Amino acid sequence: MAAIDKSEALRYLGHRGQDVPADLSALIDDCMEQCMAAARPRQVSRRFDLSAGMDGLELVGTGLSLPGRDIAAHLAGCSACLLMAATLGVDMDNLIKRYESVDLTRSLILDACAASLIESVCDEAEAALRQQAEGEGKGLTGRYSPGYGDLPLELQPRFTALLDTVRRIGLCCSRTDILLPRKSVTAIMGITDRPPAGPSVRQGCGRNCADCKLTDCYYRKEEAHI
Amino acid sequence: MKDSSTRVHAVLEELREGFLLFDGAMGTMLQQRGVGPGQLPELLNLSDPELVTDIHREYVAAGCQVITANTFGANALKLADSGYTVDQVVSAGIACAKAAGAPYVALDLGPTGQLLQPMGTLSFEEAYQLYAEQVTAGLEAGADLILIETISDLYEAKAAILAAREQSDLPVFCTLTFEEGQRTFIGADPLTAAVALNAWGVDALGVNCSLGPNELLPVVESLLEYAKIPVMVQANAGLPREEAGRTVYDISPESYAAAVERMLDTGVRIVGGCCGTTPVYMKRLHELLEGRKPVAVTPRRITACCSGTTARVLDGRISVIGERINPTGKKRLKEALREGRMDYIIGEAIDQTAAGADLLDINVGLPELDEPRMLAGVIREVQGVTALPLQIDSSDPAAIEAGVRCYCGKPVINSVNGKKESMEQIFPIVKKYGALVVGLTLDEGGIPPTAEERFAIAKRIWETAKAYGIPEEDLLIDCLVLTASAQQDQVLETLKAIKLVKSRLGLKTVLGVSNVSFGLPARPLLNSVYLAAAFGAGLDAPILNPLSPDMMRVVDTFRVLNGEDRDAAAYIERYADFQTDGPAAAPPTAFSDGSQDTAAAFPGPPAGLTLYDCIVQGRKDEAGEKVKALLQEQSALQIIDEQFVPALDYVGDRFEKGKIFLPQLMQSAQAVKTAFAIIKEAQTGEKQAAKGKILLATVQGDIHDIGKNIVKMMLENYGYDVVDLGKDVPVEQVVEETLRQDIRLVGLSALMTTTVKNMQETIEALRRAGAGCKVMVGGAVLNEEYAKMVGADYYAKDAQASVRIAAAFFGE
Repeated sequence: MAAIDKSEALRYLGHRGQDVPADLSALIDDCMEQCMAAARPRQVSRRFDLSAGMDGLELVGTGLSLPGRDIAAHLAGCSACLLMAATLGVDMDNLIKRYESVDLTRSLILDACAASLIESVCDEAEAALRQQAEGEGKGLTGRYSPGYGDLPLELQPRFTALLDTVRRIGLCCSRTDILLPRKSVTAIMGITDRPPAGPSVRQGCGRNCADCKLTDCYYRKEEAHI
Repeated sequence: MKDSSTRVHAVLEELREGFLLFDGAMGTMLQQRGVGPGQLPELLNLSDPELVTDIHREYVAAGCQVITANTFGANALKLADSGYTVDQVVSAGIACAKAAGAPYVALDLGPTGQLLQPMGTLSFEEAYQLYAEQVTAGLEAGADLILIETISDLYEAKAAILAAREQSDLPVFCTLTFEEGQRTFIGADPLTAAVALNAWGVDALGVNCSLGPNELLPVVESLLEYAKIPVMVQANAGLPREEAGRTVYDISPESYAAAVERMLDTGVRIVGGCCGTTPVYMKRLHELLEGRKPVAVTPRRITACCSGTTARVLDGRISVIGERINPTGKKRLKEALREGRMDYIIGEAIDQTAAGADLLDINVGLPELDEPRMLAGVIREVQGVTALPLQIDSSDPAAIEAGVRCYCGKPVINSVNGKKESMEQIFPIVKKYGALVVGLTLDEGGIPPTAEERFAIAKRIWETAKAYGIPEEDLLIDCLVLTASAQQDQVLETLKAIKLVKSRLGLKTVLGVSNVSFGLPARPLLNSVYLAAAFGAGLDAPILNPLSPDMMRVVDTFRVLNGEDRDAAAYIERYADFQTDGPAAAPPTAFSDGSQDTAAAFPGPPAGLTLYDCIVQGRKDEAGEKVKALLQEQSALQIIDEQFVPALDYVGDRFEKGKIFLPQLMQSAQAVKTAFAIIKEAQTGEKQAAKGKILLATVQGDIHDIGKNIVKMMLENYGYDVVDLGKDVPVEQVVEETLRQDIRLVGLSALMTTTVKNMQETIEALRRAGAGCKVMVGGAVLNEEYAKMVGADYYAKDAQASVRIAAAFFGE
C-alpha cells in the first residue's frame, strides 16, 4: 500500500533536524490521515520501443524524441522503455485549496504529505512494473521525469497524450506544462536486457541529491544525510 | 441549417419509437490498422479520408444508425500546431461519415484536454469558445446531432452543452465517464449527473468509456432512476490491459451483447460501444435490437439541485440554506466585497459548509458594485471550495443570469415573485439554464396580509412557471416572514400560508426565518422558536445562519422528530454530552472562525502565558483570547508595536537561523493573523494607517500559490496593505492594477521553469507601461541570479525575506 513517509513530508516542509514540538507532530499525523482519505491514486503505463534518432532517442511509432544528454545516459543500452503517469486525483487539490483560506499551515502540511504520497504511489507502480519486467528476464532503470536534468518540461503534454491520461486517469496537462491535478507525476523508465545484478539506483530528483545540478534546491538534503 | 432541422426531427422521432444504435470505437480500429499513438487521429480526416470512411462504412454495414464523426479532439487547442483549422478538420470528419452512408452523423465533442478553473487554468468561457467553434463547423458540414462524450467534469459538459444549444438547433446527447467507485474523475455521482444534465436540457444522457458494460450496470441503474430523458450507454469492451505496447480489452462480443441486453431490459434506449469495441460487437447489438420493444421507465420525480459533484434532494428532509454570504447588515462582508477580497467570502463558505449547511445562499448586492460581474466572480470562487449547491440570490435579473450561466450545477434561483415583470424576466432564465426557483408571495400590490392571498400569488406563480415549461417540482415557495415587532398579527399568517402551499399545490417551501425577530432582544431565542413552528407547518428549507448553535439545535432536533435522522444517530453523536445551561454543544467545528457564537467554547489560555508567548508558540486561539483582554487596557497600536512586531521578529530570526522550520513560523503568523482580525473587528471607524501597499500575484499560467499566500499573511501581519490578485494572473491585470492603485512594490511568484517566462513578461510589461514600482520575486525554481535575469529588483528566498525587503523598501 502506498503510504506517506513522515520524514519525507517533513523534508518537504523544510525540516532540517529541528525539534518538532508534540502539537505540531500531532498536526502532521492528522494531516497524513486526511491526506490518505482524500487520495484516489490512479496510474497508467505503456511500453514503447526506442531507437536512435536525429534529435536523441526516439519512441518508435510516436514521432517523439527525447532530447538531452541526461536522458540519453539514463536510457543507455535500452531498446525499449515504459512511460508512466500517476495522480492522486482532484480531491487532493480541493482539500489543500479549501484549507488555504482558513488554515494555511494545515494546507502547507497537507501539500507536503501529498507530495510524499504521490512519490510512494509511483514507487509502488514502478516496483510492480519492475517485477513484471524481471519476470520476463528484463530489468528496469529508475524513473526519470520531464524537468529533471536537461530533459525539458515541455515534453509533459506529449507524455500525457501518449498515455491518454485524460481519459484513463483524469490527468490533464496545462498550456504551461503543469500537470493537473497537481499531485501527479509522469516518468520514463528504460527496459534493460537483463535484470540488474545489484539493487537499482534511483536517478533524477527525490533521492539522489548528490548528483543533482540544482545545488540551491530548497529540498536538497544536507550532505551528511545522503 | 434547414436541412439539419428536418433531420433533427428524424433522429429524435426514431428514438421516440424505439432504440438508437451508435457505432463502436474509432481508436481501436485505427490501432488495428497500424496507426500509432503519437499523432492526432482527427488529422486522418484530411490526410487519409478513405481510411476513416472505411471504418465508418464497416459500422454502417454492421447496422449502426448513428455514425460518430472522427472529431473527438478537433478543438483549437489540440490542433494549434497541426497547420489545420477546426473548420477544416471537422468538415472533413463529417464528410467521411456521410461518405460512408451513415443514416445519421453525430458531431463528436470530447473533453478539451484541460482542467477548468479554479482547479485548472482554462476558463469556462474559453472552454465554451473551443466547443462553439466545433459546433459551428459541424452544423455547417451537416451533422445531424451532437454527441458530447467521455466527460468527467460536469463544468466542461456545461460549456459544451451551452455551446451546442446556443450555436445550433441540433439534438444534444451527453455521456460521462465513471470510475469503479461510481464517480467521475472529478467526483460527480450518477444522481448528480442526471440532475445536472436534465437541467441543462440535453436530449439524452448517459455513460461511455470508463469500464466494461458489467461494471457500468449500477451506474446505469442510478441514471435510469432519475433521468427524464432517454439513457445512453457506450461501454468499453471490458477493462483495458497493456499487452506488448498495445492496449487490449478483454470481453468478447457475446458477453458484451449479453451485458447490454440486461441494460435494455432495465430501460436503456441508446447503445453503442467505446474503447475496444468493433463492428463485430455492434453487429451483435444490432441483432439484439431487432424486433425489440423499449421497456418503459418511470423516473422518480424529485426536487433537486446540485453542484458539480453533489446533488441535494429536497424531498423528505430538512435542507438548511446558509445565509451568511449576504452583505445586508454585515460590515466586514461589505468591506470584503468592495475591496474584492475573496478570502473572507471563501472563509464564510467553508465555515457554513463545516457547520452543516446543505446549500449556500450567495448575495452580493451592494449599490456601488457591478453586481453581475461580482456575483459571477464570487460564485466561481465559492464553487471551488465547497461541494454544496448554491442559491443564487439577487433582485437583478442580469446578475442572476450571469451567476447561473457560470455556475457548475443546477442552482436555486432566489427569486421570482408574483409581479408580471419579475416572472417575465426570471422564468426564461430558469428555463434556459435549468434551476430550482424560489417564488416570493408578493406582487404589484406588495405582500398581502392574509394566508389565502399569499397562497393565491403562489398559485399564480406556479401556473405561470408551468406555462414556461418549468417542471413544477422545480418551483419552491417563500411565504415571507414579517417582523413580530412591527406586524405581529401576520407572523402566523406566514405559517398558515406554508400549510396551504404544501397541501394544495404540493410544492416545497423556503423561508428566511430570522427576519421575525428584527427589533427585539434575544433574537436567537425568538428565531429558534419560530423555526420550530415553521417546521411544524411543513417548511422544507429554512434560510438561516448555520453557525448559530440555537438554530442548528432546532434543525438537529426536528430531524429526529420527523424521522429523517434515523435512530437519532446524528443527534446522539452530537448531543450525548449536552447540558441545558452549559456552553454550546452544537459543533464549533474545525473551521470555526471564532465568531461570538462559538468563542465561548475556546478554553482559556494557560496561566502565565503572555500574548507574546502565545504568538511565539503559535497558539492562535489563545492569542485571540489574550488580545481581547489586552484591548481593554491598551490601544491597538500599542499591542501591535509591543507584542506583535517583537514576537514576529523573534520568530523570524529563529527561522532564518534554522532553529525552527516553516510550519512553526506559519503557526506564529497565523496566531498574529487571528489576533489582528480581532483588533480590526474592535476598531470601529478609523482605519489603521498601513505601512505601505504591496501587490502580490502568482503569474499567468501558474497555479501554485501556497508560497504567495504565506508571503501575504506575513506582510499583512507586519502591517502592510496587501492587494492579492490571486493565481494565474494575466500580465495585463498586474499592470492595470499596479497603475490604478499606484503600487510601489510588486511581488510575483512562479513555481515552474515554464512559468518563469511569464514572470519575465510581466516585469517587462510593468516597465514598458512606465509603472514606477520595484518588483520582488520568489518561487522554488528561482535564485538570486535567475531573479536578475527576469528583470526583478529583489529576490525573496522565503516569506521572511519578503518581509525584510518590504521593510527596507518602505524605509524602516
